[in-house]
Amino acid sequence: MRSLVRGAESPAARTGRRRDLRVDLFRGLALSCIFIDHVPGNWLGLLTLRNIALCDATEAFVLLAGYAAGLAYGSELDRRGFTFAAASLARRIGTLYVAHIFLFVVFTAQVGYSAAALDTTAYLDELHLDVFAEQPYLALLQALLLRFQPAFLDILPLYIVLLMLLLPALPLLRVPGLLLGLSAGLYLAVRLADVNLPSWTGGGWFFNPLAWQFLFFIGCALGYVPRPPEGRPAGRLAVPFHPALAVLAGLLLLLGAAASLITQAESDTTALLLPERVAELLSAVDKTGLHPLRLVSILALTYLLAHLVPIGAGWVRSRAALPFVLMGQHGLPVFCVGIFLSFLGRLALELSDRWPMQLAVNLAGLALLVGVGAIGAWYRLREAATRPPPGQDAAALPRAAASLTNSAP
Amino acid sequence: MTRRSWSRLLLLLSLCLLPHGLAAQAPACGAPAELLEPGAPLPAVARAAAAGALRVLVVGSASVLGPGTSGPAAAWPARLEAMLAARRPGLRLEFVVRGQRAATAQDSAALLREELAKHGFDLVLWQTGTVEAARGLEVEEMVETLHAGLDKVRAAGGDAVLIDPQFSRFLRTNSNVDAYREAIRLVAAAHAVPLFRRYEVMRHWADAEEVDLERAPREAKVATADKLNDCLAKALVLLLRQAVAEAKATPASR
Repeated sequence: MRSLVRGAESPAARTGRRRDLRVDLFRGLALSCIFIDHVPGNWLGLLTLRNIALCDATEAFVLLAGYAAGLAYGSELDRRGFTFAAASLARRIGTLYVAHIFLFVVFTAQVGYSAAALDTTAYLDELHLDVFAEQPYLALLQALLLRFQPAFLDILPLYIVLLMLLLPALPLLRVPGLLLGLSAGLYLAVRLADVNLPSWTGGGWFFNPLAWQFLFFIGCALGYVPRPPEGRPAGRLAVPFHPALAVLAGLLLLLGAAASLITQAESDTTALLLPERVAELLSAVDKTGLHPLRLVSILALTYLLAHLVPIGAGWVRSRAALPFVLMGQHGLPVFCVGIFLSFLGRLALELSDRWPMQLAVNLAGLALLVGVGAIGAWYRLREAATRPPPGQDAAALPRAAASLTNSAP
Repeated sequence: MTRRSWSRLLLLLSLCLLPHGLAAQAPACGAPAELLEPGAPLPAVARAAAAGALRVLVVGSASVLGPGTSGPAAAWPARLEAMLAARRPGLRLEFVVRGQRAATAQDSAALLREELAKHGFDLVLWQTGTVEAARGLEVEEMVETLHAGLDKVRAAGGDAVLIDPQFSRFLRTNSNVDAYREAIRLVAAAHAVPLFRRYEVMRHWADAEEVDLERAPREAKVATADKLNDCLAKALVLLLRQAVAEAKATPASR
């Protein structure tokens, strides 16, 4: 498996810019958590980030997606200019859109199947859940317009809009201060004015892209590697280590963990341990608009991990970590297959949610996700083997982000 | 130890002293006692019960109307009323049930306002979250609506109990119901009102094969729906009794 992982050779093997395997590892972990959390009733879901922090795998995924986008499209922008980078980004958006529509069709079939299997047509009708049966043509149109997003099909539409926002903002990657200033301004304005993209079933999007763009652009700014003028080291945006900042981040995460654990405790203990004011504050921590506490939590977590796990850490290359690194290096196919598998996992747990099925769903699901990563890596290696060796410059920089098996989001 | 935990200890002791057969009867169709812990007292209900008249308002979506049961008398609010009347023959009971198919928290909050404008209630049972989860509506909007509604109930001098969505494998499979349950739980804690964890209780019944509406054969659907509503009412009676006992033990809680 090690031979399939990009950049897993000994750290000193390649000079120049090394691939940061930590990013791949954490993206792989986030992708596994997204699969697990998308299967309601899955016992492993009790072990994912959302139980011990105010943020969850979605925040990690969006931040790392921004990082990957900043790295890939930033380098295309510098090497081949805006038009090329924008075209390649547009292609990626197209791929994501097609993937989303495919998953929507699968989801519809899954709901139909599980409704038939459980004979719950009366229940569907009672809930008005069956919008698809009521107005199939309109539902399809609204799904194409991304205004109809069934439960658990809300991350890809968010991602599509985030990349669309990056399109005009590409040149701003070179001026991270301005980019982040504008992005923060939009975030604040959207939160204060309570603006969201409209949803067909009422209200707004489950993940408001206009708010979540801030986290995404923070990732972009961190991922972008400026091309250094001759003879000077690259000045990548970085937040240096400071003990006070680290302590603050640690404290914040501890408080978040305490709050999350208490809210999940039995209701009796909740009332005893959780003062009313704190509960009220926690009830206002919304995911839709990326509440500042959620934003700060993921940033604190990233800050601590980035400084506490050294870039050459041995365990990141360990046997246990490699499957996740592999998943992280092939983010898009793994994500899409993960959502697809979560549908199957839900049907399986609907039949039985006892431990044999729990074990089967999680083992099969995660093994298949690693398999998808491995196939992507194998394909990339074969493709690279049949191509003439690229020039010096191209080898040092991340490759174009167009193919499905590429490292880009 | 706080005064409240003392009162709980006393309650526990008195339960142990009850004749053994009574406890083994599993008064709420076998629902575990810890799921029926109210977590907060109901002082207004205690006062009203002591004064001999209790006015209860039930608002929510279709499930308060007992869909699929043999008739309106089998719906859980009606069963609850009957059980309370049987338990306290001298108590003057007034039940108002306002439910609507596919009612969101905002819809039921409107019903709540309408009823509160007519006269006060000692207890409001507010069932919510199912429709939000099924349609994937904004959690935040539901939370704000619940906050405002509960403030209104308290301002009118009444107690409230929140009731979370029904357990259903279908709902669990096809909606993000946990996000809404979590939010309802926090709202209940923020207002120090009891939460009836209907989802967990019903899941327990389904796991224990006590009542499982979704897996009931077609010909047994109506009987199962009747039993479910009866069991829900029994569970609520237990929760209310405990919350009233807590209120009596701590008279100056508010």
